[in-house]
Amino acid sequence: MSSDTTRRPTDAELEDMTPDELATLAAELDDVVVVQNSPKFPIPGTRAEKRAERSVAAWFILATLAGLAFVVAFLFWPHEYVAPGKPGYRMYTLYTPVIGATFGLCLVAMGSGIISYVKKFFPNEISIQQRHDGASDDLARRTVLAQLSRAGKDTGIARRSLIIRSVGLAGAVLGLGGGVLALGGLVRNPWKGGDRAALWVTAWGSENGEKVYLRRDNGMSGEDIVKNKVDLRVRPEDMDAAAMETVFPFRMADLQDPKKLDESLHMSDVPVMLIRLRPGEKVIQRAGRETFHFGDFYAYSKVCTHLGCPTSLYEAQTNRILCPCHQSQFLATEYAKPVFGPATRSLPQLPITVDEEGYFVARGDFDEPVGPGFWERKS
Amino acid sequence: MTTTTRHTGSKFRRRVAGALALGTALLSAGALYTVFAPQPQTATAQDDSRLVVQGQQVFDNHCISCHGANLQGVTDRGPSLIGVGSAATYFQVSSGRMPLARQEAQAERKHPLADLDPKTEEGARNIDALAAFVQANGGGPTVPAEHGEALRGEDPARGGQLFRLNCASCHNFTGRGGALSSGKFAPTLDPASEEQIYTAMLSGPQNMPRFSDRQLSPEEKKDIIAYVMSVTDGNNDPGGNGLGGIGPVSEGLIAWLVGMGAMVGFTVWLGAKA
Repeated sequence: MSSDTTRRPTDAELEDMTPDELATLAAELDDVVVVQNSPKFPIPGTRAEKRAERSVAAWFILATLAGLAFVVAFLFWPHEYVAPGKPGYRMYTLYTPVIGATFGLCLVAMGSGIISYVKKFFPNEISIQQRHDGASDDLARRTVLAQLSRAGKDTGIARRSLIIRSVGLAGAVLGLGGGVLALGGLVRNPWKGGDRAALWVTAWGSENGEKVYLRRDNGMSGEDIVKNKVDLRVRPEDMDAAAMETVFPFRMADLQDPKKLDESLHMSDVPVMLIRLRPGEKVIQRAGRETFHFGDFYAYSKVCTHLGCPTSLYEAQTNRILCPCHQSQFLATEYAKPVFGPATRSLPQLPITVDEEGYFVARGDFDEPVGPGFWERKS
Repeated sequence: MTTTTRHTGSKFRRRVAGALALGTALLSAGALYTVFAPQPQTATAQDDSRLVVQGQQVFDNHCISCHGANLQGVTDRGPSLIGVGSAATYFQVSSGRMPLARQEAQAERKHPLADLDPKTEEGARNIDALAAFVQANGGGPTVPAEHGEALRGEDPARGGQLFRLNCASCHNFTGRGGALSSGKFAPTLDPASEEQIYTAMLSGPQNMPRFSDRQLSPEEKKDIIAYVMSVTDGNNDPGGNGLGGIGPVSEGLIAWLVGMGAMVGFTVWLGAKA
């Protein structure tokens, strides 16, 4: 198209052209006309030019120094945690700012150097480029279409239906594979296991009659618990009146496998708030759950029935349990029924008792699914 | 003669040996008893009766109108103090919550009264006396024997884990505090001293649950204190500013508004100058 307006040079002429002339030709072929081009420093070697050169170089040297400082700080600055008040705390707290500042300065100086170079040394130039909008001309469009249809005819693809069908089949299967790859991981069957599907039951239920104790989390890993023989089972006398403790299911068999000890802390549906009310609190039991508590001890699921946040803000005087996400409030003295906020169902209550050794044990699983509602729920 | 002497001598020796054996047995039994005798589970009142008398005076000056002459409490004014222990007394008074200025949703921290300021010698003594007086009337959880730095545990990382499990739901993960129901709130932990955090865990002030030493051992409490001390009051802000310490919300907001705004502004400025 641009060749319409510019005469194409012959091969011999191209051979004779200087690099300068070639660059001008490139602009002409793109329909660009340079109206004005004057160098920033017409006389080379002036003091002004030297100064400009130095100021650009200064940016890059600054970038170099900052980069070096970053490497040194990253490798040698004390980064190990130091508690406040201990010697070396100030240096430790400066670690992140120092590596951030040095690396940031390196990047900024690099960028500033490039911009400064462009501003100081690129010539003052005004160029005009013609716009070429719209579709190709009629001739080009017709010929291309004709060319394509003849190519199709020449290969005889229209007659070879076997190839068309097989390639179609392969394409479809390939697409299906891609679809399975993208969506397959998202498909889960929540009802696997029927009555014992994950949504219906929690790990508080005992499958083989093994005792399920209530254990606390003291921040120790399962390995340390097994190694140091720490007993984390909760006893009634561990808690003062007006106390709350988050407890998790624990079976003696878990001690064989430290991983199991950690697992039960990370299941989303098992955390239970074990609450010891103050003596003499008037408690209203829910019908059918009169025997779920042990004295002043009540165990409620920690998972909010609204959207599943941990509802562990227990107010010891008002006996309210708050959910921090949407301010639902449950009354611990009234089977954890909701008294404020968006939650509509009471927190599930875990039936507990104390075994002959004096440890809390779960008498079974919750009698309803834990957490937010879902369509298949009956209540 | 010799036989007699030998006889008497051996008799004497037998007696001495018998007495020695009996003495040793008695002594070791006593020692064993002191080693194995169970410490009484109930807190015993400090036997410093003068301190208790002084405490009663402080009580009569500051507390009696709401808590009653016999610590039995006054209806609609203040609860009974029987059994709250010296821990609760220390926490409430040293943090300025008590004496209460007015009845409202909850007692707020304020500058303590001049004669109950734990930072002055007189105030500290008065609080000690008052705590001893309350302790003497019904017992309860006691103020720890250690003070200040000694109450910071060795493992703030474990303390952080315990804090997030037991405390963070109300006090936020860096101790900023948060809202509770009906105007009540969990306070920020910035101004709290080690003793105050410890006694608060023990006594459960106001709506806070209580954490007995059997639920959170003294070592675990100290680790929690070490963690709280390492993240509150401007500590551990590697960026220079904690941005409220409320996590990714404020950090994201600042990163997007300030950071991205600055970058867009810089770009516009560059383009305008070209």
